[in-house]
Amino acid sequence: MERLRKCVTEEEKSREKSIPRGQRMREMATKKILLVDDSCTARLVNRMIFSQKTNYELISAVDGKEAVERAQREKPDLILMDIVMPRMTGLEACRALKKDKETEKIPIILLTTRGEERFVQEGYASGCSDYLTKPVNDAELLDLLKAYLGE
Amino acid sequence: MIGTGDRGRSPLHAGPRTKPAIANSRVPSGTEQLCLQVQQLSLRQQMERNHFLLERLHASSARLIQSLETGDAFEAVAEIIGNLIGSEEVAIFDYCASNETFSLAWSWGVEPVAMRHFTSGAGMFGRAVREGTSQFRERQPEHLLLPSENQLTACVLLKSSHEVIGIIAIFGLLPQKNRLEWTDYELIKFLETYATIAIQFQRLQTKQVAP
Repeated sequence: MERLRKCVTEEEKSREKSIPRGQRMREMATKKILLVDDSCTARLVNRMIFSQKTNYELISAVDGKEAVERAQREKPDLILMDIVMPRMTGLEACRALKKDKETEKIPIILLTTRGEERFVQEGYASGCSDYLTKPVNDAELLDLLKAYLGE
Repeated sequence: MIGTGDRGRSPLHAGPRTKPAIANSRVPSGTEQLCLQVQQLSLRQQMERNHFLLERLHASSARLIQSLETGDAFEAVAEIIGNLIGSEEVAIFDYCASNETFSLAWSWGVEPVAMRHFTSGAGMFGRAVREGTSQFRERQPEHLLLPSENQLTACVLLKSSHEVIGIIAIFGLLPQKNRLEWTDYELIKFLETYATIAIQFQRLQTKQVAP
């Protein structure tokens, strides 16, 4: 048993040695999330949650219009988006992304202060996959991301 | 042998020291294991709560620092309250100590006209100034509330070296938020000091720019 354990440990060590550190980090950070919020505070908090508790790569946009452009260009694995934003709202951006063949399959989670039933329904009607209300609970958000993206 | 600790112990007296080791090696009973698990869980929850709070304090601080450059201290305060505390109805008042009056400096999500009724003499605003501390509606006796304060959740006192410079009034919370939580009170404490600094900095900067 002891020999077997030693063998497994050595196997792990040799695997680690054979993969360069940079590549290991890339393997860990395979999932890309696009965070869209016009509030700098919200972006700061979410950036902190992601950098400390996950290995997801985070990119951001400050309004719906920029979100659509970045999503088309960078093809994120998931989009976390506020609703009330200048230039283009989250709902409009959601509809635009769902119309586009290139981005229609990207899950969109709307993240907003608007918790009233009619806003939630409007959110789902625009094509979002899920709906979270602010103030964000870290655990709830991370669980949801895990459900969509895996560990 | 006072003051020598274990160094003066004879090996012959080593007996009692081994006892705890024997006690520790005992397999804990099911109840003890459960108690340990509950303790661990409680510790973990406390750690997560502290982490959660520190993240928010850090983000709030970074946002207020940013406002020193962008000159949007009021917006920064509103963003912190909207995103982290959970209210989109905020008003910021200046306080004039010489005639004990409040004047509306900035508001978000509330009708500015409705802000005329806040005076320094009575209600939560008055108590905040008199007592020198922020006031919360859920801690106020119902009979001491003014009719105009029905929608008020908190009066955050802005104080600079014991001098009251204003108040941040937080009105209704978001529909999905029932009440202020522990982390909200800590964030409000943070705002008392740091929002004051950011707002004062912005005012000084405006004065400096104006001839």
